[in-house]
Amino acid sequence: MYSKWTTRLIIGLTLTFLIGPFFIIILAGLSDGEFMTFPPDGISLRWYAKVFTVESFRDSFKLSMFLAIFGTIAALILGVPAAYAISRYKIPYGETIKTIVAAPIIVPGIIVGLALLRYLVVPLNFTVTLALFMAHTALILPYAVRVVSSSMNNLRSDMEEAAVLLGCSRLGAFTRVVLPNIQSGVLAAFILGFVTSFNQVPVSLFLSGPGVRTLPIDMLSYMEITYDPSVAALSALLALLSVVIVFMAEKFLGFSRYV
Amino acid sequence: MSDAYVSLKNLTLAYGKTVVVPDLNLDVRKGELIALLGPSGCGKTTAMRSIAGLMAPKSGTISIDGVDITRTPANKRGIGLVFQSYALFPHLSVFENVAFGLRLKKLPKAKIASMVEQGLQTVGLAHLSDRKPEDMSGGQQQRLSLARSLVMEPKVLLLDEPLSNLDARLRLEMRNELQRLQRDTGITMIFVTHDQAEALALADRIVLMKDGIVEQLGTPDELYNAPNSKFAADFFGFENIFEIEGSEIVGRTGRLTVLIDAKEGYLAWRPSAITIGSGPHQGTISSMAFAGELREYIIEAPLGQIKVTTPSSTPPFDIGSPIAFDLAIDKARHLSKNGEET
Ligand SMILES: Nc1ncnc2c1ncn2[C@@H]1O[C@H](COP(=O)(O)OP(=O)(O)OP(=O)(O)O)[C@@H](O)[C@H]1O
Ligand SMILES: [Mg+2]
Repeated sequence: MYSKWTTRLIIGLTLTFLIGPFFIIILAGLSDGEFMTFPPDGISLRWYAKVFTVESFRDSFKLSMFLAIFGTIAALILGVPAAYAISRYKIPYGETIKTIVAAPIIVPGIIVGLALLRYLVVPLNFTVTLALFMAHTALILPYAVRVVSSSMNNLRSDMEEAAVLLGCSRLGAFTRVVLPNIQSGVLAAFILGFVTSFNQVPVSLFLSGPGVRTLPIDMLSYMEITYDPSVAALSALLALLSVVIVFMAEKFLGFSRYV
Repeated sequence: MSDAYVSLKNLTLAYGKTVVVPDLNLDVRKGELIALLGPSGCGKTTAMRSIAGLMAPKSGTISIDGVDITRTPANKRGIGLVFQSYALFPHLSVFENVAFGLRLKKLPKAKIASMVEQGLQTVGLAHLSDRKPEDMSGGQQQRLSLARSLVMEPKVLLLDEPLSNLDARLRLEMRNELQRLQRDTGITMIFVTHDQAEALALADRIVLMKDGIVEQLGTPDELYNAPNSKFAADFFGFENIFEIEGSEIVGRTGRLTVLIDAKEGYLAWRPSAITIGSGPHQGTISSMAFAGELREYIIEAPLGQIKVTTPSSTPPFDIGSPIAFDLAIDKARHLSKNGEET
């Protein structure tokens, strides 16, 4: 076994490796200089303030928010019944279906993005926003199915039968008995889906058009032209947002049970 | 039977191609308490589920009060089912669990409140109405499950091994409670059990099942004292059963000549029907177990092992000592091969 100090060193290095960049970004954003540097060139909050004045950031933030919220809702609308069906009924090839549903996690996003561009946007004249929405829904779906399935597995089917015998329809039993009991799983899936969508780069990379870009893509292209610390400041703000969301999820829902 | 309230006719139940219950016929009278008794896997739960409407029969009909309900959906049958697992709603309070079905009926709020109150009172849970089911003991959960079905005033209440998750003392208590409830409400009840003592104590009539087939149907008295098949006799405590061949009975290790008219079938003795200490046969006591009111002996005889009980108020016999015993014909029950008593 490792000695106490070796263990501490390993943990320390691991944490530095995982969290270190986060601090670098925060500090780089605090710089007073004109360029992104580390260590920062003096200290000021002006780049954090500037983030809010860049119009393209505001637009792409709105688009990213829209995609994260409605993409996740759409994925849940598809995913919750799918998870229910897979865990309740002995569907032929149920396992295969589960694997296929998980495909967007396995297939590199860049391929998904290219495929959507090549076969939906270009030939079928789909708007970029619609293609983005579909892509994000498809990306979140596997998470929705997985997370909701695992909370569904603890739910005995005789509860629904009891509800039916007390007068419920099958659908009524689902909304009155199943949904309230998988509530926290659905919320966990929502948060996971939201964060996944919001941070999504490779798929969205191909699906951008004039004035239609998700926030991460917009940040990339901003950086190609202007290398000032505002992107670092924005990144820090976004990372903070994610941390807050996940922290609250863990605190209120015991999020880590489901993932 | 013309006074049948619940009537099952030629009911065939199957999972896919596996037929579990081949041809079930049963008539239950109004207000009767019927026990469905049988070993594990004989199809008791399956039969209950089909009566409740949770499983469609392959063929045959189910009717209540003369109305064919075979095709009626489960939520329209007016049948209650108390699940072995209780199947309570974990996200609802005790009160809301009981109110669940009443709310679906869209009854006025005040009426629901008073009915729930009444229902909880009946099972002695009125003081716990704000609890969540997970914060209750097994016995309390069981009573809650019962109350939830009772307030719906079902035409028939089915209970699937309602007492099997309880400890021995609570089981006795709940047994009396069930009997009292049934007497007070007059609800027709069918309850499943694999415990013969429970069936004997509770039921008006017992349906003994084996592999999906009714082996015998009768009052507890009839089944206990006059089982008419080897299976039924074995189930109700005739632990010494020997096959008849000619003028002999055949045990595991030997034969014994007996004076009987029958030339085939079985002779069966309860452990208490065999006297020891005197008699024409000889054996050795191989073990003794103290069981409260009784002592249980295993005797090794030329015929094979024989189980005997004596009142524990009489002095015990020593293990290993030779012993005389008497397999008296007049205390045996004769069982014919095809299940009919002769
Ligand atoms: N969903 C199912 N699919 C296939 N076979 C089943 C299913 N449920 C039960 N069976 C089979 O049907 C037979 C009867 O089962 P059932 O549950 O009715 O027995 P039971 O008498 O209630 O037994 P127990 O006392 O153990 O509860 C068993 O052989 C069982 O293996
Ligand atoms: Mg059963």
